[in-house]
Amino acid sequence: MDVNYINPILSSFVNVMPQLGLANVEKKGMSLKGRFIESPGVMIIVGIIGDIKGNVIYGISLNDAKKIASTMMMGMPVENFDELAQSAISELTNMLTANVATNFSNDNIIINISTPTLIHGQFTANSSSDKVVCVEMGVNDMVIEVNISMEKNTM
Amino acid sequence: MKNVNVVIVDDSPFQIALLRDLLTENGFNVVGEAGSLESTIEVVTNTKPDLVTMDMTIPGTDGFECTRAIHEIDSNIKVIIVSSMMDDEIVRKARKIHVSGYAQKPVDAEELTLLINRIMSDEELFLELEGFYSDVFKEALLNVFNKLTKTIPEIVNESNVNVEKCSKGISIVMGVIGKYSGRIIFDMSFEAAKDIAKISLKREPKNNEEILNVMAEISNMVAGNACSMINKKNKIFGLRVAPPTIFHGESISISKAELGLTYSANVKTQFGDLSISIGFGRGEGEWMSII
Repeated sequence: MDVNYINPILSSFVNVMPQLGLANVEKKGMSLKGRFIESPGVMIIVGIIGDIKGNVIYGISLNDAKKIASTMMMGMPVENFDELAQSAISELTNMLTANVATNFSNDNIIINISTPTLIHGQFTANSSSDKVVCVEMGVNDMVIEVNISMEKNTM
Repeated sequence: MKNVNVVIVDDSPFQIALLRDLLTENGFNVVGEAGSLESTIEVVTNTKPDLVTMDMTIPGTDGFECTRAIHEIDSNIKVIIVSSMMDDEIVRKARKIHVSGYAQKPVDAEELTLLINRIMSDEELFLELEGFYSDVFKEALLNVFNKLTKTIPEIVNESNVNVEKCSKGISIVMGVIGKYSGRIIFDMSFEAAKDIAKISLKREPKNNEEILNVMAEISNMVAGNACSMINKKNKIFGLRVAPPTIFHGESISISKAELGLTYSANVKTQFGDLSISIGFGRGEGEWMSII
């Protein structure tokens, strides 16, 4: 895993989050995980194909997902993680990953992204790669895990 | 390509005359014109155009309000903004309300023609995909199962309803990328996965991880074969499949996605049931403009 994959993700958070009213963005930590990723409650997977291929798997606790969705919807209270809130979080990861793609393109790495799939509940995710880099991002007082499972596309 | 019926919305009779000549000379049917919000609603309702050219500055309203009104009548009508004004703010707003493209005045005939043709062929291409994608996936699925297990599964409960789904225990998710992006999900119980893995391996699976890997590989083959078949039908689709991610656990709810096309079905095999869910979006990323 090349560390160059990380900076486009950091920039994406800095670019996108303030537009949604989430001003404080910080990198809280980084770790190397194996193939297995425990769900913190909500996970969103976005596929990547191009010069590199793989997946970005976002993980958020249910509570933080509700808080972020509420902020994105101009402070509307989110009691249940319903369809509207799920749609807001999916859209957030779509924006973040699209921004990552733009950041990569500045370095002449061309990637395209798939539609996000949001999954919630009690489960484990097995990544296609056995080396997953996890970047923990703090957004205001919430945490978004960004699990990156990407490799150079040799095809 | 079929005839494209166009309505021109502009408050200037001079611009309408210019655009009408330009569009007619290039083979488009101009079926109506409007210069206010009320007349836009009336003309679009009566003529049901394929595409509307939209000015930005119209007395008493603007291009955005008129676009929203048109999409309330029929969200399939394509709107392109044809305006002398052009800045980031307008483009951002226009994309948000699903405008299909943008051309700046004074309009170049060749470029506007190309823009309209690209937007309309895009629409036809999506309809083409809608026409055959579910059959292609079924064929790929039956092929893969036949080759691996020498049995042919039965496909039941086919549906195009887009709803949240609960997993039976294992969900394999693959993103699809290309002309239209989307996703493919395979879902099954652990027991079904174990039995399918056993027959595919022709021995007892060594452990749970091996079972999951076999199912991911089967899903990957079905998705890959199906996307290749779609690409063979028309290479513009250029579909590719991202590596599978496997979700397994106590409770897995898969949110409905914002997709233009969805197909789901249950697959009854001799070794247990699985379900597939396939969706494609219209790909709003493809913003077209001539500036």
